[in-house]
Amino acid sequence: MRQISPTSPEPRASRFLRRYLFSADHKVIGVQYFFLSLAAALAGAVLSLLMRIHLVWPHMAIPLLGEIKPENYLGFLTVHGTLMVFFVLSTVPQNGFGTYFLPLQLGASEMAFPGLNMVGFWTVLVSFLVLMTALFVPGGASIAGWTQYAPLSAIAAAGPGQGTGTDLWLISIGLFCVGTVLSAINFITTTVRRRAPGMDWMRMPLPCWAWFVTAILSLLAFSILLAALVMLMLDRHAGTNFFVPAGLVVSGRAVEHSGGSPLLWQHLFWFFGHPEVYIAILPAMGITSHLLSVFSRKPVFGYKAMVTATLAIGALGFMVWGHHMFVSGMNPYAGFAFSTLTTAIAVPSAIKVFNWLGTIYGGRIRFSTPMLFSIGFVSLFITGGLTGPLLAQPALDAYLHDTYFVVAHFHLIMAMAGLFAVFAATHFWFPKMFGRMMNERLGALHFWITLAGAYAIFMPMHLLGIAGHPRRYSELTGVQYVAAMAPLQKFITVAVIVTVAGQLVFLVNLFWSMLKGPRAGANPWDCSTLEWTLASPAPVAGFAGRLPVVNRGPYEYSVPGAEVDFLPQDAPATHGS
Amino acid sequence: MPITSEHVELERKPKLGGGGPGKTPHRRGYGGGDDGDPDRFRDFHSRKERLRRLRVGVVLCIVSVGTLFVCLTLAYVFRRQMGPWDPLTKGYVRDWISVRLPYVQLWINTAVLLLSSITLELARRRMTRQVEFAELGIQPIRFGRDFPWLGLTVLLGFGFLAGQLIVWNQFRLQGVFQHANPGSSFFFILTGMHALHLVGGLLALLYAAAGSVVRIRFESQMLAVEATGWYWHFMAGLWMYIFALLYFVR
Amino acid sequence: MAIALLLALILITLASACLFVVHPWWFPAGVSAQAAAMDHGFKVALWLLGTLFIAGQITLAFFVVRSRRRAKAAYYQGNWRFEAAWTLTIAALFFWFNVSGEKLWSRMMIHHGAPGAVQVEVTGAQFQWYFRYPGADGVFGRTNAQKFAHPEEGNPLGLDPADPAGRDDIVSAALVLPANRDIELILHAQDVIHSLFIPAMRFKQDAVPGMSIHAQIRPVQPGNYEIACAELCGTGHYRMRAAVRVVSEEQFAAWQKARAANE
Repeated sequence: MRQISPTSPEPRASRFLRRYLFSADHKVIGVQYFFLSLAAALAGAVLSLLMRIHLVWPHMAIPLLGEIKPENYLGFLTVHGTLMVFFVLSTVPQNGFGTYFLPLQLGASEMAFPGLNMVGFWTVLVSFLVLMTALFVPGGASIAGWTQYAPLSAIAAAGPGQGTGTDLWLISIGLFCVGTVLSAINFITTTVRRRAPGMDWMRMPLPCWAWFVTAILSLLAFSILLAALVMLMLDRHAGTNFFVPAGLVVSGRAVEHSGGSPLLWQHLFWFFGHPEVYIAILPAMGITSHLLSVFSRKPVFGYKAMVTATLAIGALGFMVWGHHMFVSGMNPYAGFAFSTLTTAIAVPSAIKVFNWLGTIYGGRIRFSTPMLFSIGFVSLFITGGLTGPLLAQPALDAYLHDTYFVVAHFHLIMAMAGLFAVFAATHFWFPKMFGRMMNERLGALHFWITLAGAYAIFMPMHLLGIAGHPRRYSELTGVQYVAAMAPLQKFITVAVIVTVAGQLVFLVNLFWSMLKGPRAGANPWDCSTLEWTLASPAPVAGFAGRLPVVNRGPYEYSVPGAEVDFLPQDAPATHGS
Repeated sequence: MPITSEHVELERKPKLGGGGPGKTPHRRGYGGGDDGDPDRFRDFHSRKERLRRLRVGVVLCIVSVGTLFVCLTLAYVFRRQMGPWDPLTKGYVRDWISVRLPYVQLWINTAVLLLSSITLELARRRMTRQVEFAELGIQPIRFGRDFPWLGLTVLLGFGFLAGQLIVWNQFRLQGVFQHANPGSSFFFILTGMHALHLVGGLLALLYAAAGSVVRIRFESQMLAVEATGWYWHFMAGLWMYIFALLYFVR
Repeated sequence: MAIALLLALILITLASACLFVVHPWWFPAGVSAQAAAMDHGFKVALWLLGTLFIAGQITLAFFVVRSRRRAKAAYYQGNWRFEAAWTLTIAALFFWFNVSGEKLWSRMMIHHGAPGAVQVEVTGAQFQWYFRYPGADGVFGRTNAQKFAHPEEGNPLGLDPADPAGRDDIVSAALVLPANRDIELILHAQDVIHSLFIPAMRFKQDAVPGMSIHAQIRPVQPGNYEIACAELCGTGHYRMRAAVRVVSEEQFAAWQKARAANE
């Protein structure tokens, strides 16, 4: 990047652009990702609200939108899923907080490739904008869900939104793949080559391990998704035949393609899709481990086991994709293998839960907002995680596949638990990012509303699935036994409205604190990792010129014989400890 | 605040615990910080460090691209062997039509690409030597002094792409890409994706080559060539692999 | 705050447990041969996972509360014995759970074609199910949807008029089945992926275009049940339903005869 001297007569606008918009400073880029995800989360939440309202009050006229039609509902469903999975859960825990804090926690002055970092962000931003335009084009957004199963996604005549809407979706996610792979290259190189002196692999804070493993998963998984997207785009426009078989008739007209296999799309997509959900949750788990330790004033219980479990989950995550396809027409013998491997993933996940509980046990807990959300994360992870082994049994999944039971499962573990970790991380790192403290009272209020809401919405949803209510239904009036479940759907919708409204508390807290919150010191939480040795907000220069030297592990809390109840990682080595 | 010691439990067997509670001096060559010397640290902006960083980045890039092609290979192999399932015969329908490859043109393209790999390697070594001589004070760097190996590489790269375009055009005129032939779809996507990634490498080389004219830092130019070097050789190897795949798995 | 968390987690645990015990909405009564085994599998699963859920939440709540009056936290890096014991226990538990699930799966899916099964071809199209019976000759006629399908003229599946085997095929919008006989379903799809879901029979199988998927069921209880589509297939996905009528053997034969006479 071109160097500017502080006294150069550069116009203010250009300085502002360089400092806050087109900056290669990882801290600025981290904040940019954070706000991008926030916008995506808000959009996704609004869409989910519209979906829930339409489901139980189908003829209600929404201001500015009028009555929602089935194709609108499905378009909202697709964009909601895409926004939340890609632009929120795959972005803010990894690219948002990771970009900001990976270098700082490793004691690096910058990421390995700062320019690439910036390019990655702008690619993801363009990807987001392209996706949002899909809602406004003729035909609307794609109606095939975020999973875009072929041939529905491959044939433009198969439904409204399957023309331009789907093309835009493909371009958007294609760009997202590229941006994320660039980011992943950056993360891995930074972790391998830019650790501060003394920062051994086994002295890295657990979020850094999580970001590292997630980056490896991203590198591999998004490359595969890109392959699948290119193949689908070619099928749609270049007359190739990867996914569309012969003999199809859509809307009374014969389809020209032949020789393709819809199952090939499912295999490719889920080979990406399953690691994707681990990409979404691993950083959250790393952050939770970290926060539980900080706020229990205790080392993480079983650090090595945590690292091993993270690696195991990452590796096993690539071998279980078939559990999304038990009833897809896939060879039933394959079901045996996928089922066993999927149940195997429950073991490292159980190790992590055990270790979280072990970290809390015997601790002196500080009930700050980040701790509340971390405890909430553990609770929700247990709940959402336990329905996983059930769905891993093909015989039981044969009934529950594509019902609301699955929706409850992934919302509890991905959306709610993942989101709780994001809220916890926001409250925790807010002082370092913006130099002020968030309000604890509002934080606690937000926590209680969201915890109650999460359980109120998604616990009863399991019953809908058990009763056989399929998912992605835009109305309840089609199938009789589904219509009979309308009262429960109504209850869930009311819970959603209350919970989404409750998120206003968070928004108010966030923006008010940014402008008027009490100023924070360098280390308001008495945390031992390296980012807290910098002033708040983190200075532009970061560690430049005075790299820290690391002398101990990241979780030295309540060390016997020490005067204060934590030892910073770069404090000089004394007492031969 | 008084520290009572009632709950002190020192874990002296950090088998599964221990985020490494302060082991100084720590082990040599663990990879992390200073490889044994806690008082000195790496200069993250030195040429050596920049190079190593770039190399890690390029390796990761290669892994990503490699994954893409592993994925396409698997799809190709499975599709060839297993068409739609026919329950009457309890087997897969073999509806695969082999694509007849224009070997002459493809071998020419291969030769061009391999040649470009050689010229790039020559360019890379010369540039590295120039930078090292300059660092040792033996000889200052002079732009445009040497044979334009880099420029030749770029030309050969374009030559390969032109050759591929000829092959695709031939197929298009023969009507291979239409009409229900999964083999042709895979041919197109395998060679097409390779060409696309080659263009990426070409752009990097153009940036480096343009440096001779536009006067960017010679070190940056050299690093660009270094990084692209491995990538370019990988692209050549990948092309050999694709060619072999399309030939043996027809 | 610790007490509040304790109460909240206990409340959540109790409410969830009540919800699953009282279950105001639940599985419909199982009316196929595989339903009993599946329901048993579900029961085992829900009990096992429910116990772990309650244990997990209560442990969390208890540990949180326990920390309230501490002066100093314990400097405790971990205990590999506990870790190993827990890992082995949970691995054994889930392994046992998985094996019982696999046994059920093999019983459901690995079957060797019962002779004398009633064959029904199921075709999903946007947004309608069609059920075809082979008729008196026991042979399905050839279909070519692209050439011959005209739903408005009564030939939605595209039966080839030149094929004599197709003349006695019965195409119905409802799935009529005789009780207590093996049924072989052959699933097709005309346009996009659909999924035949009969909750009462605990049956679900995707219908994939370009594939001919065989599945077996055995209804044991006469009655009327519903089919819902369980794979997103377009704007009409929510109303892609059909009726299943399980009748006695005689009624089934009579129905077939009546339909054959009509066509």
